Amino acid sequence: MNRPHIVHLIDDVTAGGVMRVLQHLTSSPELARTARHSVRQVKKGALSLGRVDADIIVSHLSISWRSLPGLIGLRAMHPHLSLVHVEHSYTQAFSSLNVKNKTRFYTLLSGAYALFDRVVAVSHTQGRWLKDRNLVDEFAVRVIPSSVDLSAFLALPPASGRVRVLGAIGRLDHQKGFDTLIKAFVTCGGTDLRLKIFGDGPERDNLRAMAAGDTRIQFMGYSMDPVAAMASVDAIVMPSRWEAYGLVALEARAAGRPVLVANVDGLNDHIANGAIGVNGESVTLWARAIAALTGGQGRRQIAQPAQDCRENSFHDAWAELISELQVPLAKAS
Amino acid sequence: MLLRTEKQVDDFAVDDTGLGQSVSVIPCSSRSKMPKATIVVPAFCVESTLAETLEALLAQTFTDFEIVIVDDGSRDRTVEIARSFCSDPRIRLVSQPNRGLAGARNTGIAVAQGEYIGFCDADDIWEAGKLAAHVAHLDQNPFVGLSFSGSALIDDAGNMTGQAQRPRLRNIKASHIFKRNPVGNGSAAVMRREALNSIGYRRASEINRTWYFDETFRQSEDIECWLRLALTTDWEIEGVSGLLTRYRINSGGLSAGTDRQLAAWERMVEKLTPLEPAFFAKLTPLARAYQLRYLGRRAISEFEADRAVDLVRRSIASSARPFLEEPVKSTTTLAAAYVLALFGGRVLRVARFAVSRSAEKFRKI
Repeated sequence: MNRPHIVHLIDDVTAGGVMRVLQHLTSSPELARTARHSVRQVKKGALSLGRVDADIIVSHLSISWRSLPGLIGLRAMHPHLSLVHVEHSYTQAFSSLNVKNKTRFYTLLSGAYALFDRVVAVSHTQGRWLKDRNLVDEFAVRVIPSSVDLSAFLALPPASGRVRVLGAIGRLDHQKGFDTLIKAFVTCGGTDLRLKIFGDGPERDNLRAMAAGDTRIQFMGYSMDPVAAMASVDAIVMPSRWEAYGLVALEARAAGRPVLVANVDGLNDHIANGAIGVNGESVTLWARAIAALTGGQGRRQIAQPAQDCRENSFHDAWAELISELQVPLAKAS
Repeated sequence: MLLRTEKQVDDFAVDDTGLGQSVSVIPCSSRSKMPKATIVVPAFCVESTLAETLEALLAQTFTDFEIVIVDDGSRDRTVEIARSFCSDPRIRLVSQPNRGLAGARNTGIAVAQGEYIGFCDADDIWEAGKLAAHVAHLDQNPFVGLSFSGSALIDDAGNMTGQAQRPRLRNIKASHIFKRNPVGNGSAAVMRREALNSIGYRRASEINRTWYFDETFRQSEDIECWLRLALTTDWEIEGVSGLLTRYRINSGGLSAGTDRQLAAWERMVEKLTPLEPAFFAKLTPLARAYQLRYLGRRAISEFEADRAVDLVRRSIASSARPFLEEPVKSTTTLAAAYVLALFGGRVLRVARFAVSRSAEKFRKI
């Protein structure tokens, strides 16, 4: 049988987790054995996404009322193709904090998801939410935790000795909760502690103002090389307000660095795999968690690079999903 | 469905929930089926009111429930009275060293077997149809995580004061919880277990015990929990109609309590602000004004003139917006505080009597 052609649609190509996962999907030799993957960029909210020549279409698009007509058109123009949507954005904590009219929002989501044959959740926690909220039919949900090529992270020498340099990696955006982190960090004693913040974004000036006066906090700007950024820190902190999965936590665990994560959404998946959970809302609790980590207690809590960093479960899950969707096609032809 | 014998319940209490050796669970008699609902009754030194509370619960028209009484280190006859009810197979008694209301509720949740978990403080009364109303509401609305009702206020002697909490029941957003706390009091809510699970957390210092209510709070623990539910989960909070709880307002002791109550409220704001700073930046002055107005009204009903005027003034200083959102209530509160200050309690009592009489006449017409 010929390898099926999988076309991945994307509307947001700014650097970030989604682009890196997509890069991994399309460049992995393992995945290339079972299917041919390519990427097509479409305009955000376009009324028509056009005809796509493919065996399976995978949407990485952001769902909104504006993008809904395009998605309906996509379904209508490809009635016999299998359509998959990967939900990179929406989570329980996202909707709790950001959505005013939940009924309307959930109507949008369940309507949009119903256009697809399968909906991929990027974490187990997100998958449970999609099912519990009846946003997707139970049989249509697949959980495939996001992944990137971790070999360079696995090859890093694990941080040894006392945790002294904390790293925060991500867009300087309200979502990431770096404001909470800075507030907590400045209350922590220890003149030799450092907090390196990698990334750029709309909150940059606010965060810089909050950190002013504490020379232990360094803004490193956006880093083109995530491995080098990881190599330069002893531990990672992720106080995100919402997070569908949290690739940085996976990379940190692969690099043998302890990770503090807020216990929200997909970050719970990492807690199950050795990350240290912090009850996400309070500056005091974050300060306490940082103190415990840098005080030497953290060292003992690091798990070995968790099993999920070494396994090929990401590849296997995608290969399985593709073959599952190929069966009816084979029958039809 | 999982069946659990009493022995297993004991194991459950000690091992899974980590309640520790200091907690004793007394299964009052054997019971083989998991109840639909659990009513948690935190009880700390409530010998004078516990019996009445339990009798009202046992008289519920919906009967598939258990009652978990959590004796929170009482030093009076509370335990004795609770035991005297234990011949009823639906009642269990848990005793623990004092942890406060939040800690007693957390223990009750840990041993609860019901799918729905309600809370009734041991000095409040549930109307006979309350549980039935919430069970039906939760059964029919799978995304409602917390179902509540309005409450009628009673005094120390259990008599109706004529005042009531009649909150907004539908389309409740986090901002409504923060400003007006429609859930109202700690004996109004029945929650879905999954909703409680989604806000439960463990602390490094006490790794085996789950906190749903924050035990570091001795006041404002209710609103802290509801607001956290609204801000961190997408469970809906919705009310059913009717005044289904009789909520006891204890007279006296307010003056000392006001400052502590305000301090706890401010600490709640401080704790939750990192969740959504913009939300709190926008709403805190207004929510504080409502909080101060509420305490001002309590002071008025206890005829504490100076305190009432002070609280009402501070409320307006924090935000005048309640006059726009709730003009009648805000104006009468302001007026009542000054009538009390200028003419004293007698005049206010007469004025209130006259108003309620004319309102009654008006209703008859």
